[in-house]
Amino acid sequence: MKATRQKKFYGVLLAPTLIFLGIFLLLPLIQLLILSFQQVDNFFEVIDGYTFSHYIEVLTTPVYLKTIWQTLFVAVITTVICLVLAYPAAYLLVRSPKRWRAFFYILLVSPLLTSVVIRTFAWIILLAQNGLVNDVLMKTSIIDEPLDMLWNMNAVIIAYVQVMLPFAVLPIATAMSDIKGNLRSASMILGSNRISTFFRVTLPLTIPGMISGAMIVFSLAAGSYITPLLVGGRMQPLLPLSIYQQIMQVYNLPLAAAMAFTLMVLVFLVIAVLGYILKKWEVRVNG
Amino acid sequence: MGNKGTRWLDSLIWIAGIAVYLFLTIPVLVIILSAFSPTDYPQFPPTDFSVRWFAEVFQSEQWMQSLWSSTLVMIIVTPLTVLLGTMSSYALARLSFPGKGLIQSFIMSPLMIPQVVLGVALLYLFSSLGLFGSTLGLIIGHIVICFPYVVRTVSVSITNLDSRLELASMNLGSTPWQTFYRVTLPLIKPGIIAGAVFAAVTSFGEISVSLFVSTPETITIPVRTFGYIDQTFDPSVNAIAVIFIALSVIALVIIEKTIGLSKVM
Repeated sequence: MKATRQKKFYGVLLAPTLIFLGIFLLLPLIQLLILSFQQVDNFFEVIDGYTFSHYIEVLTTPVYLKTIWQTLFVAVITTVICLVLAYPAAYLLVRSPKRWRAFFYILLVSPLLTSVVIRTFAWIILLAQNGLVNDVLMKTSIIDEPLDMLWNMNAVIIAYVQVMLPFAVLPIATAMSDIKGNLRSASMILGSNRISTFFRVTLPLTIPGMISGAMIVFSLAAGSYITPLLVGGRMQPLLPLSIYQQIMQVYNLPLAAAMAFTLMVLVFLVIAVLGYILKKWEVRVNG
Repeated sequence: MGNKGTRWLDSLIWIAGIAVYLFLTIPVLVIILSAFSPTDYPQFPPTDFSVRWFAEVFQSEQWMQSLWSSTLVMIIVTPLTVLLGTMSSYALARLSFPGKGLIQSFIMSPLMIPQVVLGVALLYLFSSLGLFGSTLGLIIGHIVICFPYVVRTVSVSITNLDSRLELASMNLGSTPWQTFYRVTLPLIKPGIIAGAVFAAVTSFGEISVSLFVSTPETITIPVRTFGYIDQTFDPSVNAIAVIFIALSVIALVIIEKTIGLSKVM
């Protein structure tokens, strides 16, 4: 009696969310999936019948294949750089005295609360021809001519790393602070030096944090279009940019839909693989 | 104690770590520097101090209109997201049924789905519903995006809640609703407040979906900022950026005072 009444109550609490997300998250994705198998006429009206032609175009045209590889490459590079930089940052966060810790947390979380447009804008000020970096380098006579640092893939990767780094630091820091101090002391008492303690104790136990961080950074880096558009320019071969252009300039919605699903499947595949490794690793470490 | 080798290693890690934090902070410093600079492009070291960009923002009708759009959307999105998010995270924490994991991943999926895909999908749905370019469309899009943040902070509070308190309340004759309202809700309030702050800040800064579903009449601050950076260079964007940073600082303080910064991720 009591139990069913409780269950009903919880069901009533959950229902509005499921209805809302069903209509405004699941439905649009299904609609988009159907559209990706359809074609439009010259007036952008959907024509009857279904076709694989957009997927064939995306997966066989050299331009789009190059775009897909470049998207994955940039996302992987961004993820790797983020993980490498995140490690010392997480170490400082966990091992520093309490007052400092709050300060580091502020530095990490405040970017997450600032719009991505604003954070990207800062990189334009820094890297532009008449920007700050060139200004300082010219005044100190390190260079004579301003360097071209904006509108290329390096600028995109630099901005990506800065925008996404906190997502990598926080899970690694959580994993690090979960390690019991006496585990490391035990390892050192048993004769390991700090370096081998790091490789045998600390590193294996923080791998789950690294994988969770990698999942978020990778999916963000593969799926964003604002940052590459602003610091890389419209012509960079990145899938999210191609989708944006197909919609805003070419008005080819079905092709954009096919690209969108290709992108989503690629991202989910990588996340699934990382999730599988995470599970295996946790079983191996924790038994 | 400690030999020379490890001390050397220690300082290396510290130097690397501090360099990383500097890298994270530099853009914010740059924005503040440029916002108070009188020249179109900021100079280093700064030559003079000026608030002309702030004056320009507040005198511009377009900026003020966008400020109004963004604020309106945020004011509607925040309570709705908090309401939906709190109800569903509580229900999911207390229910167990087959397929629960699937529903949980579905609820959190807006974090993982590429933003460009969400934008396109909502653009297409809104066009077919006649909602394209409407404020309602923006609100719906923002709720979808902000939802996982509320669920995450509220779930942290619910996990820390002793469920025996709820049992006690119900054994003493309260209905589930009374228990939720009188026992659970006051105890998870910090998580709800932090979730509200996250939702508000995320909505105010949202661009990836907004850019697809807004028209010139409903343009929000981030979308207008994007347009100014992309097409013309308008230095009053500097002042807008400082306003965003100030908001994030306020948000930080509230989150720290409620559930604590270390709990948000």
